[in-house]
Amino acid sequence: MKSKLSIAICVAAGLLLVSASTSAHHGTSGYDMEKVITLNGTITSFNWSNPHCLVHIDVKDSKGDVKDWIIELAAPTLMSRNGWTKDSLKPGDDVIAETHPAKNGATTGLSGASTALLKFVVNGHALPSH
Amino acid sequence: MPNCKTRQTIILLVISVFSTALHAQTTAPKSSANMQETRSAGHVPDFSGPWAVVGGAPSWDPSDPRGAKPDQLPMTPWAIEKFKAARPPFGAKATFEAVNDPVQKYCDPPGITRLYAYPWQFALIQTPGVVYLLYEFTGLWRPIWLDREHPKNPDSTWMGDSIGKYEGDVLVIDTVGLNGKTWIDQVGHPHSDALHLIERLRRVDQDTLEVSVTFDDPKAYTNAFTGKRTFKRSSSPMEVTVCSLTEMQSFDDEVMKTTTVSPKK
Repeated sequence: MKSKLSIAICVAAGLLLVSASTSAHHGTSGYDMEKVITLNGTITSFNWSNPHCLVHIDVKDSKGDVKDWIIELAAPTLMSRNGWTKDSLKPGDDVIAETHPAKNGATTGLSGASTALLKFVVNGHALPSH
Repeated sequence: MPNCKTRQTIILLVISVFSTALHAQTTAPKSSANMQETRSAGHVPDFSGPWAVVGGAPSWDPSDPRGAKPDQLPMTPWAIEKFKAARPPFGAKATFEAVNDPVQKYCDPPGITRLYAYPWQFALIQTPGVVYLLYEFTGLWRPIWLDREHPKNPDSTWMGDSIGKYEGDVLVIDTVGLNGKTWIDQVGHPHSDALHLIERLRRVDQDTLEVSVTFDDPKAYTNAFTGKRTFKRSSSPMEVTVCSLTEMQSFDDEVMKTTTVSPKK
């Protein structure tokens, strides 16, 4: 596994970047919306489908073990309006991604909704965010 | 009165004819001068859109739009029982576990008033006898009849029976015949098949639409109440977002269940 996969979790507390009103269809109660972490890893898949686009990222944890992170984005229609396409991410891409992590410690996160889209930097280039 | 098949054919034709004009308006919003011209020509306000919600709010309670105190609406005992059983995605009772939101669990139609809370757009096609409301979410649509009254004993349906009229710059929509299977909002407030809705659509300015909705449901609420939403004209063309049970199930298995297991030690 690439060395780039190393580590990387920094916390930005107090950020409420995703509105609870018009975000994911299932709400945000499973995620810590006051915390944003940054993942540094490699894309393994990008599923451009309803109800939410899903990104799988291989990320090394603090022990050096590779974990599969599942990052949730908005529905394809809404992601398109944010300037993303089904080809915005590809397996093998290096990515730095911000996400609101799951409250239960699972390697899942929420990064995109209708009102906010956290930062994704792919192979050194930033994708649209707001 | 045209039969059902004829009516469907007419509707499809109307949608086809007007979709080109609708798209043109999305890419080139009318100037104020044009808007004035439209008004003076037919005295019918232009609501075409598409419209996208501003901010949104999960509850229709006018004093609690975030749903922080969802039990403060004046619910009847019948409605309180329904509300207690609800496990909604938003508001004070928001949960990821054992969700019984009929949209999330079954891909049921969300109902007229809940559609206004969604981030997906809607648009109107106005003809002399009927106004069509088109919703991106699952491609739902509904006719607003301008040339007739409600049937004396309407069927109970997901979208109800809607009639409308223009009062100056306001389109007033009166709806009955709703089946009571939907929630009125994202926080799980119920309604019955006695729900009577009055929607009032008004253009605040060229690019802003205000929708107020009055809920009158004596079986579920001891008093009628009115909430408002604001929408902005969108430059994005109308699309369709499908609700697929197989996709929902796949998402639940992959994400929801993973995110609701007991916290890791």
